[in-house]
Amino acid sequence: MRNRREILAAAAVGIATPSLLRRAWAQQDAIEIGSLVSLSGTFANIGEQVDIGSKIAIDHYKTAAGRPLRYVQLDDQGDPGRAVRLTQDAIRDRGIRFFMNCTNSAIALAVAKEVASSGGVYINQAGADEMTGTLCNKNTFRWPVATYSAVNTTVRPFMKQFPDAKKWYTITGQYVFGDSLLKNLKDVLGELGGQHVGNSYHSLSDREYSGFITAAIAAQPDVLCICNFGSQTTDVLRQAVSFGMKRNTKIVVVWSTGLDQFQSLGPDICEGVYFGANYWHGVDAPGNRLLTGVIKDKLKVTPSYLLTAGWACTQATVEALNKAGSAEVPAVIKAFETLSYEGPTGLEKVRAEDHQVLKDYYLLLGKPKAKMLDKDDYVDVISAQKAFLPPDKTGCKL
Amino acid sequence: MSAQVLIFGALNGVGIGMIYFILSVGLTMIFGLMQFVNFAHGAFYMVSAYAAFAIAQWTGSVLPALLISPLLAAAFALASERLLLQRTYSLPHEAQILITFALAILAQESVTMIFGTLGKNVPVPEIFSGVVIFGGFVYPSYRLFVVGIAVAVALAMWLAIERTRFGAMVRAAAENAEMMGLLGFDSRKVFMAAFAFGGALAGLAGALAAPLRGVEPLMGREALAIAFVVVILGGLGSFSGALLAALLIGITQSLMSMIWPGGAHLMIYGVMTMILAFRPTGLMGRS
Repeated sequence: MRNRREILAAAAVGIATPSLLRRAWAQQDAIEIGSLVSLSGTFANIGEQVDIGSKIAIDHYKTAAGRPLRYVQLDDQGDPGRAVRLTQDAIRDRGIRFFMNCTNSAIALAVAKEVASSGGVYINQAGADEMTGTLCNKNTFRWPVATYSAVNTTVRPFMKQFPDAKKWYTITGQYVFGDSLLKNLKDVLGELGGQHVGNSYHSLSDREYSGFITAAIAAQPDVLCICNFGSQTTDVLRQAVSFGMKRNTKIVVVWSTGLDQFQSLGPDICEGVYFGANYWHGVDAPGNRLLTGVIKDKLKVTPSYLLTAGWACTQATVEALNKAGSAEVPAVIKAFETLSYEGPTGLEKVRAEDHQVLKDYYLLLGKPKAKMLDKDDYVDVISAQKAFLPPDKTGCKL
Repeated sequence: MSAQVLIFGALNGVGIGMIYFILSVGLTMIFGLMQFVNFAHGAFYMVSAYAAFAIAQWTGSVLPALLISPLLAAAFALASERLLLQRTYSLPHEAQILITFALAILAQESVTMIFGTLGKNVPVPEIFSGVVIFGGFVYPSYRLFVVGIAVAVALAMWLAIERTRFGAMVRAAAENAEMMGLLGFDSRKVFMAAFAFGGALAGLAGALAAPLRGVEPLMGREALAIAFVVVILGGLGSFSGALLAALLIGITQSLMSMIWPGGAHLMIYGVMTMILAFRPTGLMGRS
């Protein structure tokens, strides 16, 4: 008769075996990449597009470091706590070491900490400066630009073009990202002789902005600058235009998601408005030609920023794995830190000091409907620039 | 801040308030008449807004949608009432909340499957695309049109409830449905008609709101939150209370956007809390 200790040992082996087998199989066969996407909840509209972009990239590249790639979807439902639990489970049960994507900065910062503590690699699309600033870590990389870059690459060329547009009024989301845009804007205005004549903060739950816009009109600014993100950007802009602000005020949206927002606004609202954007499908670059070709082939649509963001994080991971020639984490991190590749915005390089991908940020100008060459040709590219804080100023210590 | 700017803010608040009124009046009517807590009200609003989007895409203008979309919303509400909700009238409010909430999620996910998760634009009709300027106050023509519609709806509803035979039946059913039945009237038909009418009002609000804010799957949830604040503040089931509460909230929100922008949304709930502390049944509610 078996004693209790033997039974317990057998049970433990039985419980652990599937996990060990899965891990062993995953390590010997495919490289699994966990993708943090919100497919339900408030950020589902973002997560769905990022998810599709990453899946298409995995399907396109198929292998990295000589091994097949497998996409593992982790639906965090827009909840940072759930995102961390999913990440822990993926590491423990499947032995996943590579992670990508996020739908907001809170999720990215939480997951980055978890991946770093377990010795993985993570690349994401967080907007918060902290990602490559005070909360940076050795294991995490960021593809889009930080707010400093967004403000400097939109406001500087705009002010150069309109030196008389001195008085700026801002409508700002009262959260870390909005505040960060506002702070950088004030710095640039101060440096270039602009005047910040007023600001209206709105909360994350606001949907009615006519009161803020009435206040902005009363301040008689030369420029209305919108410092928020997502559907709140489209709502503020739509309402500002409906109140006739384009008649005697220029409008600058520092951070837009590009095509998907233009489609939800329509050409009449976009016309004459200046937008900052991380990506534009019309850019002539080898990496972008590849991306637009694949997306049009698979989905019959023009790539938006969100699709591209999913693609870009996947591409960067694949490029790093290929450069490392293995899926060993230290080798992949080392490869990442010196990575240079043809990405969706042209030649993209990773900066070793803070793990920021150095890439162009665009200033776009909405064009009249009559001048649109096709249904997605909403804007002209006014400038494409790289402007990043020097590594010693980011606060990042790796 | 000058007095003129504050007056402009208050005028803008009246406009916001009238939009909120049209959004919430159907909800308060259904509760007042049937004591029914309808969490699907926002879904009727959202479905109608998407219908307006589809019609605008098809015809090139949202104006036909202002007639068609409320009818579609009424049909949706009627079908929901006949097939599902009438079975819940005798159940506790908790059951009604759960079932109508499920209906709202079903509608939201269906719309997401058909139209996708990204927001869509509904252009303002050409005829209302400009602005009206009073002194230094600029106001969008389309918002003025919406306010006009809301005023017309308020007047029409007041006349219908106070001056017509159907209105008398509605008031009687709200007062005592059982007694009405004993007098030979079919209160179920009154409830059915009222539910469809409430759906049509939510639908009208959705169609009118589509050019103001575009359409996206979560818009129903946001609208429902505001509608409940208006209904609770005005007094459950009170038509005039809904009008008063909507105006109060609109003006508060607009003025606070100028005085304390960060707290503008918060103050909607702040005003509600303060008033309910002194009048627990709302502005015009009966205990």
